[in-house]
Amino acid sequence: MMSEEQADKRSTTPGLTLSVTADEEGKPKRSLASILKATILNTQGSLLALIVVIMVAMAIATDSFWTPYNLQNLFRQASIEGIIAIASTIVIITAGIDLSVGSVVGLTAMISAVLMTEVGANIGVWPAIIIAMLAGTFVGLYHGFIIYDVKVDSFIATLGSMIFVRGIIKIISGAKTTAYLPDSFTNFAQVEVFTIPSLVLVWLGVAALSHFVLKYTRFGRNIFVIGSSMEVAKLAGIRMRLNIYGVYILAAFLNSLAGVLLSSRLTSAMPTGGAAYLMPAITAAVIGGASLHGAQGSIIGSVLGTLLMTTIITAGIHLEVHPFIMESVLGALLTVAVVIDQLRQRRAA
Amino acid sequence: MSGIDNEYVRMEGISKSFPGVQALDDVAISVRRGEIHALIGENGAGKSTLIKILMGAYQKDAGSIYIDGARVDINSPLEARRYGLNAVYQEMLIAPKLSVGENLLMGKMPVNRLGIVDWPSVYEQSRDTLRDLALDIDPRKKIADLPLAERAMATIAKVVGEKANLIIFDEPTARLTTEEVETLFAIIRRLRQENIAIIYISHWLEEIFELCDRVTVLKDGQQVGTYPVAEVDEDTLVSMMVGRSLEEMYGIKRVSPGEKILEVQNLTVEPYFSNVSFSLRQGEVLGFFGLVGSGRTPLMRAIFGAESPDAGQILVRGEPVRITSPTQAVNNAIGMVPEDRRLQGLAMPLSVKHNINMTSYGDISVLGVVRQREEAKRSQRLVARLNIRTPSLNQIVAKLSGGNQQKVAIAKWLAKDADILILDEPTVGVDVGAKVEIYHMIEDLIALNKAVILISSYLPEVIGLADRIIVMAEGNVMGEVSPEAATEERLLRMASKLEV
Repeated sequence: MMSEEQADKRSTTPGLTLSVTADEEGKPKRSLASILKATILNTQGSLLALIVVIMVAMAIATDSFWTPYNLQNLFRQASIEGIIAIASTIVIITAGIDLSVGSVVGLTAMISAVLMTEVGANIGVWPAIIIAMLAGTFVGLYHGFIIYDVKVDSFIATLGSMIFVRGIIKIISGAKTTAYLPDSFTNFAQVEVFTIPSLVLVWLGVAALSHFVLKYTRFGRNIFVIGSSMEVAKLAGIRMRLNIYGVYILAAFLNSLAGVLLSSRLTSAMPTGGAAYLMPAITAAVIGGASLHGAQGSIIGSVLGTLLMTTIITAGIHLEVHPFIMESVLGALLTVAVVIDQLRQRRAA
Repeated sequence: MSGIDNEYVRMEGISKSFPGVQALDDVAISVRRGEIHALIGENGAGKSTLIKILMGAYQKDAGSIYIDGARVDINSPLEARRYGLNAVYQEMLIAPKLSVGENLLMGKMPVNRLGIVDWPSVYEQSRDTLRDLALDIDPRKKIADLPLAERAMATIAKVVGEKANLIIFDEPTARLTTEEVETLFAIIRRLRQENIAIIYISHWLEEIFELCDRVTVLKDGQQVGTYPVAEVDEDTLVSMMVGRSLEEMYGIKRVSPGEKILEVQNLTVEPYFSNVSFSLRQGEVLGFFGLVGSGRTPLMRAIFGAESPDAGQILVRGEPVRITSPTQAVNNAIGMVPEDRRLQGLAMPLSVKHNINMTSYGDISVLGVVRQREEAKRSQRLVARLNIRTPSLNQIVAKLSGGNQQKVAIAKWLAKDADILILDEPTVGVDVGAKVEIYHMIEDLIALNKAVILISSYLPEVIGLADRIIVMAEGNVMGEVSPEAATEERLLRMASKLEV
């Protein structure tokens, strides 16, 4: 039979009931397992620790990893994926999902490339960039309409546009790679400021701005409420159309930016461009603490999540792990991230 | 037959705690064969927990259960059934897409020699069961196609048809009409004659006096006592349930109502309600009473812009307003605390601070940027004013108790400084202490000249708090009653369309 005193202790530690035992002084003493569990579940700390551990291990294990060239490359690689992960995080916070990120990236990359190179269509770098980003951002406007006004689930809505937009890319490009982009455009991706690649600066700039928007603006506050429950948000008088359109337009805008950066970095645009970013972006967002149930997620988390993913991929390359195996590892990572999300939810419930 | 005085089930020293709450503390109950034993208590008193322990859905922390004098362990609902225990729950555990017959004979469908379901005899057997209970329901109909009340009766028929030794009825009349309640009572009385033990849970004390032999009262997880029904009266039961007299609970300071702030004229939303008109003054508490399906909740949602009206108009401070979304309602200083806190009223995974301010970020933002200090200050002030018990402003709302959650749900409209507050069942699922605090909050609101619409199914609450009471039935206003003229019986009769 449980004494009242014990009952009281249990009642003062909601959520930790299973892992907390009482010692003789009556203070709750956390078991090693529970400390470990809490650390693993404290997303940002454990992510940072994991990234550092892998980097140190790689620096010791290989000669090629801890070199300025490789590190620059790692961060450059991370930056485009990082921007897409930020866009995904914002959508996931509203309990939605955007499966079209890769297609929007590809669309913007292709439109900008075509507008800069095709004879008769060459309109100059800046107009090309602006038109391409407007086209990409327009997909977000369409998402707002189909998800908010037509009330199609975001999963299906963006699955549809993922395939639809990919088709458009192939129509525009004739399913061919567009290369030989102007130097004035491709040089941007190669610029460094005090050895920091320009792409990384853009990524961190986007991250800082997005972090500010999520944490300190009315829009940021509102989308967390929407993610927690549409009905609650609606009955609190929050302007749903404005905010939901806003989320998908913002996400598409960020993905469009990533698309332009991608073609600048690759000096070309491929019909399949961007397609490979979908899973890493969602994985990075979820690893970074975004919950597919909504109302949870942070930009700092998504930055660390992206960095972890890229570090693992780069480490795989340096350890000469077969690319097919790496692909499976990344898939497994997504599953692990979602399982951790489930554990977090159960703990919070 | 065994045990003292024909006792069938005895539970002793039952305790159960959940994180943050001691749901049951040393509770005992004994139920005899051929007895209808009432189990009563406020929401959160522990009735459901006790029943779920008996039915094997929860495991007790301490205590023992005896059946026919022998100590038993009941670890799962299946084991409970094996001991001859069965229950009709509030949530109906039937398959809505299957026919009544399939539901009644679930798990024991008659088959022919080839092992194929013998449909004619499925329907014949279930028709017999239904006729036996004087129910006129077609066994071929899908459950989902039945009206709610018939669905409830079909559920009851299923459980009764399963031939148990003890049957628990958990609020069985909540969805039934008066006639069906009579049918149900006849069924229960017949079960008593057949020497079956019955536990009957209800909010309606009249039902207890009409039907039951003994009554066990729970309060805050503790047992107040068990009494023969003949030896107690309604007042005694109420004060045992709430631990104080009615007057103490509902005695709020009234103010004389000021100017007319809200007028609703001939408002109609098909098929929920039609032609509803009423007005509301500042400093007034207007009570709305009605049974499930009376249209109260859709009416309030329409006033709040969450349903679009088919006809009629709404005037705020004498001016006609167009309210087509909650945003517009909020801009007209109307606030609503919805019936379902978890799904409609609160962002459960977010902080107390975030929830309190979710209606008013527009007021505390400059160029879209939230003024953090103002946000914290407002939250701090409301937490103190409403006595919201939370370790910090950053605590997740899901981890607060029901009463404190409800206070947060109300606080968000105080933050917005709403002048008209619609409270839809504000005290469901909160403990008595928090209930009294919510009543005091209503008192504070009217003292500040706010206008309050109070929807409640709990009659003493409506009668005790409201300045006027509007009774609705089947989408129509049946009439308006002053609290002095209102008795529980009269309001119920009006709500059942027996009296205007």
